[in-house]
Amino acid sequence: MNQAARGAGAGRESDDQVDAELIARWKAGDERAATALVERHAAALARFAVASGERSDVDELVQDTFVRAFNSLHGFRGDSSFRTWLFTIERRLLLDRRRAEKRRRDRTEIQEDDAATEYDALDSVLADETQRRVRAAVERLSPTQREVFTLRVAEGLSYKEIAEAVGTTEGAARVHYHNAMRSVKEFLDE
Amino acid sequence: MNDCMNAEIRDQLPELVHDRLDAARRAEILSHVEACAECRDEIELLRAARAMFEAQTPRVDVCYVVNALPLAKPRPVGVQRGRAVWTDWRIAAAITLLVAGGSSVAVLRRDPGTAMALRQTVQTPPVRRADGRSDSSGSSAQARPAPAAPSEPTPRALVATDAQGSGIGASRLGDLTEQQLEALLGEIDQLQATPVTDPEPVSLHVRENTSGAPEGA
Repeated sequence: MNQAARGAGAGRESDDQVDAELIARWKAGDERAATALVERHAAALARFAVASGERSDVDELVQDTFVRAFNSLHGFRGDSSFRTWLFTIERRLLLDRRRAEKRRRDRTEIQEDDAATEYDALDSVLADETQRRVRAAVERLSPTQREVFTLRVAEGLSYKEIAEAVGTTEGAARVHYHNAMRSVKEFLDE
Repeated sequence: MNDCMNAEIRDQLPELVHDRLDAARRAEILSHVEACAECRDEIELLRAARAMFEAQTPRVDVCYVVNALPLAKPRPVGVQRGRAVWTDWRIAAAITLLVAGGSSVAVLRRDPGTAMALRQTVQTPPVRRADGRSDSSGSSAQARPAPAAPSEPTPRALVATDAQGSGIGASRLGDLTEQQLEALLGEIDQLQATPVTDPEPVSLHVRENTSGAPEGA
């Protein structure tokens, strides 16, 4: 057993078991199980979307993620946890959106004023000065570091789960996390 | 803000914040944190970051998401695909046989002459004549009774055989003299007395064993 994972994982097994039971109920025709699954994971998907830089249409992205997941839920074998699988799907959708956005921006000029307005509006939401500074520090991370940092800090995922969601190795996920943490600390110390 | 030198403890601080450690490990890490200022600072940073992620995220409308989900369709259980494939092949083979058989019957009924010729060919065994030659069609027809149905046309094979003169045609009987008729009847008697299933003569060639070795060695 990995030394870093010693004693970790308490509560994850029960979460996975609840998800498995809800999935089995939905497959058997219980529509309420779908609502329960959405309630359990929608907020986490929204956090990941926002932390990954998605500013608008978060509801739509979360909806698309669930629709895609439920459409292929009969093929879900449970090799990874349901939440990790959802993050994988959402990440692919995010990448598709960014590619489409990039193509659109290549055709039109970048609206700098819009970006500044979004930034100020978000700052007003964060009343706490520390949170504002942490957010500014996270904004400076590379996209991969930000994804790994978000999944580790906001969701408490293990390195193994992060590796599955982001499509990398467990060791690489650990390195990304510690590099991100060092960058955040350095920014806060400035 | 410095890093704690205990990398193993520091690596599990997020699990501590999310309360995902078993009781023993949690107690072990907490006792370390009480004495470690760097770990306490990092825990404060983790809590602030977590609060920031939650504060900046808009609330998701669960109903909006659920309304777009596909309906659950329980899958039927117990369909054995292998058996279905075999059943399909059996049905296809049966249909093919029925079509082929039906076509053959239709063709035969459309051409009665062909049907009769085929029937004669199948039913007529080879007849050995008095002169030792085998004849499968012509002369044997004289020994058989006429066909039961008078409306049926005369088989082409019989007509052709008579025309070749291998037997005596019915149209020439009135031209024969008394002696010729008697000779003909005698020949017919000989034909009827001759068994039609005579075994073929067998000639055995026996080689002499000059080497003295036992047979089959």
